[in-house]
Amino acid sequence: MGANRAGWGIDRGLKAGPDRQDTQRVSQVAGRSWHRWLIGCSQALRTNIGPCSWGREDRTSTALTHDRNPHVMLAGLARDGASLRLETVDLCFLAALHLRADTDNLTSFDEDLVVEVFEVACELAEPGADNPRKRATHAIQRMREQRMLARIDASGFVRAGEYALTRLATAIVESFLGDEHLTRESLALLTGAVISNLSELRSEAERARNDDEWRAKVVGPLRITIGDLIAGIERRQQGLDAQQQEVLLQISDLLKSDWVSSLAQCEALLDNTSATLKELNEVLMRDSSQIQMLLQSIQDVAATAGMLEAEEAAQRVGEQIDRMTAWGSSRQATWSDYYRYVHRYLRDVVRLDPDRALSRRLLEQLREWPSQPFFSLVADEARIELLRDVVVRSDRPAVRRPHESRDRDPTQVEPQDGLIDLEDLVARALAEGADDLAAVTRSVIAEFDGAQRYAVIGHVAALVAKLCSPISARPRPWAAVDEQLEIENWTIEGPRS
Amino acid sequence: MTTRYTSLADVIGDPVFPDIDLALRRGCHIDREDGDWYQFLTDAQDYLEQLYRRYGCELVVQSDGYFFLLPTGKQFSVRRLSAGEMLVGQALALQYLDPSTVQSGGLVTQEQLLVRLVNLISDEDLANALNPKKKHTSERVIQETIRTKVASAIHRLAGMGFIDRVDQDRMRLRAPLLRFADPVRGLGDRTQALERLIATGQIASVAASGEPEDDDEDEVEA
Repeated sequence: MGANRAGWGIDRGLKAGPDRQDTQRVSQVAGRSWHRWLIGCSQALRTNIGPCSWGREDRTSTALTHDRNPHVMLAGLARDGASLRLETVDLCFLAALHLRADTDNLTSFDEDLVVEVFEVACELAEPGADNPRKRATHAIQRMREQRMLARIDASGFVRAGEYALTRLATAIVESFLGDEHLTRESLALLTGAVISNLSELRSEAERARNDDEWRAKVVGPLRITIGDLIAGIERRQQGLDAQQQEVLLQISDLLKSDWVSSLAQCEALLDNTSATLKELNEVLMRDSSQIQMLLQSIQDVAATAGMLEAEEAAQRVGEQIDRMTAWGSSRQATWSDYYRYVHRYLRDVVRLDPDRALSRRLLEQLREWPSQPFFSLVADEARIELLRDVVVRSDRPAVRRPHESRDRDPTQVEPQDGLIDLEDLVARALAEGADDLAAVTRSVIAEFDGAQRYAVIGHVAALVAKLCSPISARPRPWAAVDEQLEIENWTIEGPRS
Repeated sequence: MTTRYTSLADVIGDPVFPDIDLALRRGCHIDREDGDWYQFLTDAQDYLEQLYRRYGCELVVQSDGYFFLLPTGKQFSVRRLSAGEMLVGQALALQYLDPSTVQSGGLVTQEQLLVRLVNLISDEDLANALNPKKKHTSERVIQETIRTKVASAIHRLAGMGFIDRVDQDRMRLRAPLLRFADPVRGLGDRTQALERLIATGQIASVAASGEPEDDDEDEVEA
């Protein structure tokens, strides 16, 4: 306790002013976030499950969060400026706390213990660092600001704090420690638990009589129990992905360091991973169909009862199962390609070049190529040679054209007597006293429709010239003969025949 | 010996023959990753060797597991790879042999290739080798020449089955790349190995065929 007080004294003495401000700022930010969180929880309480424990409330809001628009969620993160900054020493510190809690069955840590754990982590990550106790104070502050450590004693500055790792910190540490690898046993156990739970849920669905029973006995367990089990499988799948990446790195490192001596180890690594993936895929294929069948029957019962919420929950779980199965097939296919590639590499490159002499000589060749160039040759004939059957050549017939008489027999056509009528019309206009070409033309074209008028005008001028003696001024004036046509006018004088 | 076919007519009658024939004539290399095509060539090898020999060509099969057609007479057009294709091909062959590539399953990026090339040959020498007709007066021109010619060479090597383009940046290396290592396969003198390859018509030297012509249409403006 003495040490505890001393530590607290240092903390207060050094950080009293800024610490208070930072604490206020952090608590404001955290307050806003928690306020939204609580609103979500209370909405969930009102709409979904009703009065429940904190644990259930938390999970329900998580389920609701999944239904939210991802854009809104991302915008929220961006607006709040959410960020994480973790140095190696911070990660070691969190991991050390997690492991200590695991070993000693601790649910929280007093401040002395936190400082002690930090000093151990600091010694590992940054050996010989100055003033580790002061650094511990800063590290605790940093972790609290980033919501990795939560102070759970609610005593403020009155006495030394009691801390616990948050869910965020636990998730980060677990992902780094990576002890959740998918094995045939763990997968079979988890899918077995899913099948067993779904069978019970189907029975509950058949027995449910009202909305409350549906929500409490079917929808909630579907979202939480089944959701957690499937999330567990997915988490382990991610673990196996990471494990695969490790295997790739290991094979590469083994080849770099031991080359031909590493052949057996590389082959063993490849075969082990292949066998694991094959087994996992078999379990997934076998159990997923049974899970989908159970989900379908729950969906059918929900549809009959008109419980849209339960139908949706079952459908969501079905989609997760589909994703899980697709993961198995996809990873097996990808690994299969990689397996073939590495085996080919081991056979064609490593075994055939045990001293890596080829690489060295090729390197030299490439370096010297600009001064001693040579060029590989390839075929470049895209045309196809068509091999035809050999035939005896025959005489070609002369080019001929059929004879044909070019004379055509006369045919009967309709007489074109329009001009005769036109001459009568011109003569009549002249007789009526028209004194210029425009007047005659106007009179004559009035008898024709618009399409013919243009052609008729020329004939009228010719007939006027034939029937009388027109006088043409220089320059000839233009005169309109209808709405669209104008002609160069003549004056008509003298006798008219 | 052939397994599936009893005559050349059977071979030519196979539905895959026209595509494989055209690919080989275009200078394509066919390896185990080509699946059915490789199996066809393996099964029909005896008949096809006779067929192509009549055109003055050799159907070459290498122990690394790939086929290609090599014109040895005058009846068939032959193309000499450009300087860019040769440099990029050799650098990719080095990558193919490198155990670091195993981690990515035989995939390399264009950037990794450029880094390797530039580490082995200086920028200016590389630019001059890629485009000897151009004066490389500034760093910008040098870098543009390198990038453009390398990209062009990658495109052509992909067309000849040396690599597969996975996307704009990444490529998968294939066994035919080891053709670029042919002169250094044995432990003997490299010059003698080159002379042997020139004699068999697999390689051409500058002395025999003049300066390399680069018919790329991607000249860099100064």
